[in-house]
Amino acid sequence: MIQDAFFAAGLAVAQAVGLLAVAPLLRTLIKKMKARLQNRQGPPLLQGYYDLAKLFAKESVRSETASWIYVAGPRVYFAAAVSATTLVPVLIAMAPLESAGGILLLVGTLALGRFALATAALDTGSPFGGMGASRDMTVAALAEPALMLGLFTSALAAGSMNLGVLVSGLHQQGPSFHPSDFLALAGLFVILIAETGRIPVDNPATHLELTMIHEAMVLEYAGPDLALVEWASALKELLYMTLLIDLFLPVGIAGSASVSAIGIAALAWAGKVLLLAVAVTLTESTNAKLRLFRVPELVSISLGLAFLALAIRFL
Amino acid sequence: MTANVLILCAAGMLVSAYLMVGQKALFTAIRLYGVQSLLLAVIAATIAISQNRHDLFVTAALTVTLKTFLIPWFLMRVIDRIGIHREIEPFLNVPASLLVCLGLTVVGYRVSTGFPEGGQGVSHHLIGIALSMLLIGLFLMVTRKKAITQILALLTVENAVFVVAVGVTSGMPFIVELGISFDVILAVLVLGVLVQRIVGRFESMDVSRLSKLKG
Repeated sequence: MIQDAFFAAGLAVAQAVGLLAVAPLLRTLIKKMKARLQNRQGPPLLQGYYDLAKLFAKESVRSETASWIYVAGPRVYFAAAVSATTLVPVLIAMAPLESAGGILLLVGTLALGRFALATAALDTGSPFGGMGASRDMTVAALAEPALMLGLFTSALAAGSMNLGVLVSGLHQQGPSFHPSDFLALAGLFVILIAETGRIPVDNPATHLELTMIHEAMVLEYAGPDLALVEWASALKELLYMTLLIDLFLPVGIAGSASVSAIGIAALAWAGKVLLLAVAVTLTESTNAKLRLFRVPELVSISLGLAFLALAIRFL
Repeated sequence: MTANVLILCAAGMLVSAYLMVGQKALFTAIRLYGVQSLLLAVIAATIAISQNRHDLFVTAALTVTLKTFLIPWFLMRVIDRIGIHREIEPFLNVPASLLVCLGLTVVGYRVSTGFPEGGQGVSHHLIGIALSMLLIGLFLMVTRKKAITQILALLTVENAVFVVAVGVTSGMPFIVELGISFDVILAVLVLGVLVQRIVGRFESMDVSRLSKLKG
């Protein structure tokens, strides 16, 4: 019993640290692939780490009107993203802290981080922060139910709301498709794009005032505060990708904690994340950013697909 | 394995139909139709391999050449000529259309259980998806104003019927299949010309204007 607890705690720390270490690399990799598609050189692969190191070395500049909410925002956001990593199976088919809760806790934790960041953006009273927060919440209000419906679809297939049990169930079932899997995958891919601020929804590379969503929200931040936000956003992106992999393509995930199985699982996981990164890059490169008022339409399509995925399970 | 591929492709076709509902740019809608037809060809080829029915290879080849390349190319040329690229205002806005289509899919799936083959397994999903696509196609036809979108909706319906014909029944005679293929291409050609005439006369693709008399 105690050994299990130690193992779970160790796994939780290992997963959190591992994902935190890889997350900036993923962002830079997508940037690099996008640049190559546009015949540019792109940043070096370690640029994400350089940026974080630079931001952490700076002093933090805060507005005079900022209260503790402004200071707490990025920290809560970061903490929520890190704790969410412990609820998702990455290499082994079990979530480290799965006794704490399943899908609902995961969605709730992510929502908590978003809430903290949005309130912090409103705190200084700058028009940009408020605008960004309201836009982010508009998208989130549609994206969150879609995420939950998509997750429920898989939960229904495996018969458990607990992500660890769910993934090992799916893994043992072997590759068997139901139309709802594909519908949910399509829905959740749109959510991945929307939640991580990728191009049809938001442009991560611009600070053009009319189009920003996420960037407008964190415009006021500088130095270590900004570094925390950036790092947590990268981590969230990796987390969503891992979740997609877990639910729809768990092939290769380790069933037990043996070294060779984990090695294979790590390779498989990296390959699948790379594949998703390529898909995201292609989506970003081939689409134009949608007008803000069209974004809810796109997200409502994914909501519809996720709902349909769930409905078809019963028919 | 065969069942997985079939279900995956059929579900992909349904997703493409949904994206067509949520889509206003005509070029994207045409590309979606191309993808949908490609998936149909994959379904036909898969069945041809698994059940050893070589005539279905011809169906797959015809589908790819005609529906994935020729028809989209022709429709894109029509759009290029008349220079109208977007569906401006459908009779029903996108979220409402999506809701209706959700309902239609549920109906399609529910009805599919009434078929003798539709109770369970792969054919349940194939019939369900085909019926849903058929209903979505009909729905698109009545709610969209642009003639091109209506043609695409008609073609979606045709694809849906093909899914059932190929996937569930033991197939059509070869000559019928050839006939249908030529019918489709002829219909698209005629409709394309018709669209150009409508645009030439009314300076718009909006078919709701056709109800007004013009001296």
